[in-house]
Amino acid sequence: MTAGAATRGLPVEFSGLTKHFGTVVAVDNLSFTVQPGRVTGFLGPNGSGKTTTLRMLLDLVHPSAGTATIGGRSYHDFENPSKIVGAVLEATSFHPARRARTHLRMVARAGGHDEKRADEVLQLVGLTEDAKRKVGGFSMGMRQRLELATALIGDPDVLILDEPSNGLDPQGIAWLRDFMRFFAGEGRTVLVSSHLLSEMAQTIDDAVIVSFGQLKAQGTLEEITSGVTGLVMRARTPEADRLCTVLTQAHIAFRRLGHDEVAMDAVRPEQVGPLLASNQIVLYELTQEGADLESVFLSLTAGLGFGQLAPRP
Amino acid sequence: MINAIRAELIKMRSMPGVWVTFAIAFPLTVLICVAVLAGAGGFPGHTFYFVQTLRQRRMLLGAGYFAIEILAPIMGVLCVTGEYRHKTITTTLVLTPVRTRVLGAKVAVVALWSILIALLTLVAVAAVGLPWNAALGGVTSTVTDQVGAVVPGLVASAVLLGLFGLGFGTLVKNQVAAILIVIGGTLILESILIALARAIFHYDLNWLPNAAGAALAGDIARGFGGGGGGGERAFHLLTWWQGGLVMLLWGLVPLTIGYFTTFRRDVT
Repeated sequence: MTAGAATRGLPVEFSGLTKHFGTVVAVDNLSFTVQPGRVTGFLGPNGSGKTTTLRMLLDLVHPSAGTATIGGRSYHDFENPSKIVGAVLEATSFHPARRARTHLRMVARAGGHDEKRADEVLQLVGLTEDAKRKVGGFSMGMRQRLELATALIGDPDVLILDEPSNGLDPQGIAWLRDFMRFFAGEGRTVLVSSHLLSEMAQTIDDAVIVSFGQLKAQGTLEEITSGVTGLVMRARTPEADRLCTVLTQAHIAFRRLGHDEVAMDAVRPEQVGPLLASNQIVLYELTQEGADLESVFLSLTAGLGFGQLAPRP
Repeated sequence: MINAIRAELIKMRSMPGVWVTFAIAFPLTVLICVAVLAGAGGFPGHTFYFVQTLRQRRMLLGAGYFAIEILAPIMGVLCVTGEYRHKTITTTLVLTPVRTRVLGAKVAVVALWSILIALLTLVAVAAVGLPWNAALGGVTSTVTDQVGAVVPGLVASAVLLGLFGLGFGTLVKNQVAAILIVIGGTLILESILIALARAIFHYDLNWLPNAAGAALAGDIARGFGGGGGGGERAFHLLTWWQGGLVMLLWGLVPLTIGYFTTFRRDVT
């Protein structure tokens, strides 16, 4: 990030944001801040309120309580919001009979931009050759690219993306990842929601995890993966049975991985080392591992929204 | 506001449904010209005859009214319901979050395109109706003399009928339902209600949309005003300005209710 570029981004702040749909609480007192110059992942199971939260930020859904602001201002208050914020919300919001270039000309006009921007953003997302094709004939991946082009028409300071990888092929996903990194590298703000955790883990700097509309964790990726469930210690020993007994007595959670291997959750080497020494347990290997994003996510959301993975009664 | 209007103009230009209304307007107007010239004579050996009475001359000049009363409301409906049908409302409101501005731009664009439809029908009259009338022996200037009496009402009717369609489109949101309500309501239901009210209560429902539009458009509107044949009493139309005011209300009331009940709702 350059010093000059750092002025481009704006913080996105959610404060006590709440949304009720009848008796259903879709978003519950959600508060967090997205910093400029970083890619922030907005993660949660299906139905956890991610899309509703982003739509409240963009004034498409009216909050029941709380505020969502960009650089301290409500989205509604921006005279030409496309100059400040670009949003990728759904890849289906196109008139099928409209040509890609016509759609972008319309978007440019609405935002008060030169219509030449249509060709520039088409080139940016690799759709120049399809500019005159009707959107109805586009694949899902092409529609996602066109949606991204729509978001970029005003060269915004803040990019909001809701599940942008849907329908993209591996090359498209890699391109999108590089693009988000580049965009944030210029000091701009990127907030991206996704359920593709392995993909997110390669892309994001910060993570916000929500479940049932409530904030479960927020921080840098490192903080999230090391601070929530703690570290995992993996031990390989010929005395695995005795180790399990010792761990049970010490009230340390563990999982038996194999006949000579045991994983201990949420512990640090300073706890495990002395315990094993005092019980004279022979070790072949003792390694420390950080929890990955997926395991953190699943532990924080308790597998909610992924019923097929829930334990059977 | 200017940006929103420019965007709406591009949207309208790129909607096939809008061009279908334009494609229909011309031949439909020619068809009404045929009907007017067929009804003008009644002399043996002449299927068609040139227009003679003041009312016939105005009907020929305003032959496009029938096309306008169908197509302008449909265009108004398409302008707003297309946003929901194709989910483009999300993009529209992200680009222009002030919803009154979006609706204001749609009003302006529907008015403009309604005027274009009205002008297209006048072109059809000039291209087919007037030369044919002249070929039948009519003097063209006796028809064009009525431009001042016909064209302002025709154009104003087009604008208000477009607004009428936009209002119901905003209120109902579902494209098919809105078109059925606007067209079925004015062409079928209104005719039935007017007939029943006349037969049972001896009352002219002259404030219904089509009747009000007919008042604004004057003698050119079919089915109203010239009645009274066979001893039946004439249908009492509103004055032109009353008709215009009532038509304006038929557009603004559903538009306002639609804004507060539908257009301001969450877009999920």
